[in-house]
Amino acid sequence: MPEGTSAERKAYEAMQACIGKPIGPTGTGPDPVNQPMIRHWAAAFEDENPVYTDPAFAAKTRFGGIVAPPLMLQTWTMPTPKLTGIGERGGSPTEGSVNVLAPLDEAGFVATLATNSEFEVLRYLRLGESVSTETILESVSERKRTRLGPGHFVTWVTTYRAGDEVVGRQMFRMLKFKPDVEALLK
Amino acid sequence: MRKNTLDFRSLRVGDAVTPMDLDLTATFVVAGAIATRDFMPVHHDRDYAATQGSPNIFLNILSDTGYCSRFLTDWAGPEAAVRKLAIRLGVPAYAGSRLEFTGSVTSLAEADGEGLVEIAFRATNDQGDHVSGTAVIGLPLGAGR
Repeated sequence: MPEGTSAERKAYEAMQACIGKPIGPTGTGPDPVNQPMIRHWAAAFEDENPVYTDPAFAAKTRFGGIVAPPLMLQTWTMPTPKLTGIGERGGSPTEGSVNVLAPLDEAGFVATLATNSEFEVLRYLRLGESVSTETILESVSERKRTRLGPGHFVTWVTTYRAGDEVVGRQMFRMLKFKPDVEALLK
Repeated sequence: MRKNTLDFRSLRVGDAVTPMDLDLTATFVVAGAIATRDFMPVHHDRDYAATQGSPNIFLNILSDTGYCSRFLTDWAGPEAAVRKLAIRLGVPAYAGSRLEFTGSVTSLAEADGEGLVEIAFRATNDQGDHVSGTAVIGLPLGAGR
């Protein structure tokens, strides 16, 4: 007998129907690889690597010019947020997006916690390149009890491209859960 | 960070990556979230985070991977290239905590004209492991630069 309410089981079944299918965000990032966003990123992490921000230095390296920080790959394709109310604080709705995890949200699994991220970087990106993504929902676990509350682990795999060339791949896993606030604040 | 890239042939399995310590003020948590375009309120709104059972705002995973790449290239130098990065998240990294990155070389190989350095690493705070992971960085072959 599976755990959870019948509404929760229905949400799980709705998610199973999406396995192997493309999910958002897809398409091309809102801006090409650019120096202002790189500079902002480097400042936030106090990353002083000169190949990200010093054109004269970068030109003399094997990269031959400025390159984007490799782990910005995901940042280039994060959708533009729509901040008003931001899903009554819990979610992050984005312009023109469809929330494929909506069945889980509706069943009360409203909170999100990233658990794994695995990147393969095939090559570094240069200024002016546009990055596009294709994301496939790989799996949704059965309902699990976690120390945060009951939830489902959701895994997707993203392929990043510059033009037609694959430049990176990422496996990303998160927990969608129903927070057990009383237990957590004890 | 070091200005000259490490010489691949000088490395040995077991070599330590230079540790990196971070004092995670709320400013860093928020700056990292916004620089990676992650607007989830748990990364900038302490009151909202409390309703989700978190005593404070906490680092987003895109900031974690950002700090991991800085940790690796601060040690390896500007011509090092991150080829693989796999992380698993443990306890949260809350604003106001201190995070310490440590790691060591686990294998060395040459492929595709690069020296490939595999590294196992972790970032810990007073609650335990926040991040544990592995990475592969590529170094140009030839003399250290």
